[in-house]
Amino acid sequence: MTAHTGKGQGRRHGLLLAAPALVLIFLFMFVPALISLTASFFDVSLSRGIRLEWVGLDNYRFLFEDRDVLLSLRNTLVYSLLTIIPSLIIGLGLAILASSLGRGRRCVQVLLFLPFAANLVAMAVVFRWIFALHGGFANELLGVIGVAPINFLGEEQYSLLTVAFVGIWRNTSLALIIFLSGLTSIPTAIHEACAADGLRGWHKLTSVTLPLLRPFTVFVVVMLILQAAQVFDTIHVMTGGGPLSSSETVLTMVYRLGMQQLKFGEAAALSTLLLITLIAIGIFRRRQLSGGTS
Amino acid sequence: MTLSPTGFSPRLHWTLLRWAILLTAVTIALFPFFWMLRLSVSGADSVTLSGIELLPGSWDLSNFSRAWTEGNIGRAMFNGAIVTLAILACQLVTCIPAAYAFAKVPFPGRGFAFAAVIACLLVPTQANAMPTYLGISAMGLSNTLTALILPFVSSAFGIFLMRQHMMTIPDALLEAARADGLGTFSTLLRVVVPASMPSIATFSIFSIFVHWNDYLWPLLAIRSRDLQTPPLALSVFQEIETGQDYGALAAGALIITLPIVLLYIFAQRSFEAGLGGGELPG
Repeated sequence: MTAHTGKGQGRRHGLLLAAPALVLIFLFMFVPALISLTASFFDVSLSRGIRLEWVGLDNYRFLFEDRDVLLSLRNTLVYSLLTIIPSLIIGLGLAILASSLGRGRRCVQVLLFLPFAANLVAMAVVFRWIFALHGGFANELLGVIGVAPINFLGEEQYSLLTVAFVGIWRNTSLALIIFLSGLTSIPTAIHEACAADGLRGWHKLTSVTLPLLRPFTVFVVVMLILQAAQVFDTIHVMTGGGPLSSSETVLTMVYRLGMQQLKFGEAAALSTLLLITLIAIGIFRRRQLSGGTS
Repeated sequence: MTLSPTGFSPRLHWTLLRWAILLTAVTIALFPFFWMLRLSVSGADSVTLSGIELLPGSWDLSNFSRAWTEGNIGRAMFNGAIVTLAILACQLVTCIPAAYAFAKVPFPGRGFAFAAVIACLLVPTQANAMPTYLGISAMGLSNTLTALILPFVSSAFGIFLMRQHMMTIPDALLEAARADGLGTFSTLLRVVVPASMPSIATFSIFSIFVHWNDYLWPLLAIRSRDLQTPPLALSVFQEIETGQDYGALAAGALIITLPIVLLYIFAQRSFEAGLGGGELPG
């Protein structure tokens, strides 16, 4: 490099520094999203290279007529409701309890975050055995109080509930850590002011703490929605979407359509719907964050 | 303060209740980890319970060697390390200069380019996996090591996170570097990178965590056993062994979880900072 970097040279350098990353991100983020949108209007075959045949909206029509796809949409919605609300409330409650601890706080925080930090496939393998019909821990525990063994993973009415339980176990941990960092960010002066005004307990929580936590709450909710809408690992490992599609969700359905039935066009159409929904939620969150904090 | 009938103050009651709730939560959070450990050292006859047997009746450490060889976990750990580190290296090489440019080196179209990076943050990776697979297949790259690495060689999140931190580097420091005769690139290497170590560390930890644990992408991209990553190897091992060798399966689960849990325990702060993605106040 020369000793003197002129203005014009600096500008070229800037472009040079940013270009490789920009090109690569464009290639592997935008292009797949475009592929998804394009392929959703074609019949796609991957045998001997890629072959496309225009089918218009047929793939989308298929999605809304197929029983399993509709079931997967419904299940994803139910799974989201089952996991998001408990994770949010339990996570907030535990964060408030943990934040008021003196010495043990850091330790409790590390332990309670382990469910999110661990490898989800590994934990799903363990959970599968915990919920096994014969000789699993859950059923042995129920046996102690005289409940007959429940086929948690093999029966239609329990499968989605069981994977949702694992979702809550994991996502509570995520909510907790974000809320804890939110609670830590509240200046001590505010706590002192509350004490001086005699504001304590429930009243302080609803009138001071929760409003201050608002940006964190929005962030947690969006993270939980993204987690729930894209649930895959636990379900694929624990039930494979079954029995009879009772725990099939959008992403397991995309996997099934694409990799097992080789209906790539239909899989792309379902991916596109998911992408559009999640991007819309992301945009909403940006609005909230920029509008809510200033 | 009035005393309750038991003779303790309400304040003490509250403290006890708080600890009781937190200990219950910790127990539930950690139970699956304990169970993984318990199964992984259990002999074949004490994997299936008859009653609440918190500790195994018979012990068998050969579960680990069966997971390592028959479950292909050994090979997968090696692959996982290569893939994770290769991705990280590529991301650092591409994202650090880009973050620097977005923070400190203006160029024509920078505002627009940064808006594009922000837009990329909105694209959810899991939902993007199937179309990425179509692209990778069309390029004839499916079932290769390249397929595991290529889609992640750069990261919008990395650029964003490190740029936020680099914005705080004082311009005077960069002016001083220029006065000392350093060019743009030497300034980057000798001044900006050392000053950005905290955010580089945060991003690195986060990247390792995400790509070590990734399951959907390897599942789509990889067919052959030799290229399996740790989560993929474990799930394939489970499909073969369903209900038959749960000791070895749990041992495999333990082996692939351990590095990431250790990483977390040693780098908690970086980990938690990465979660907020530099977007949260505080």
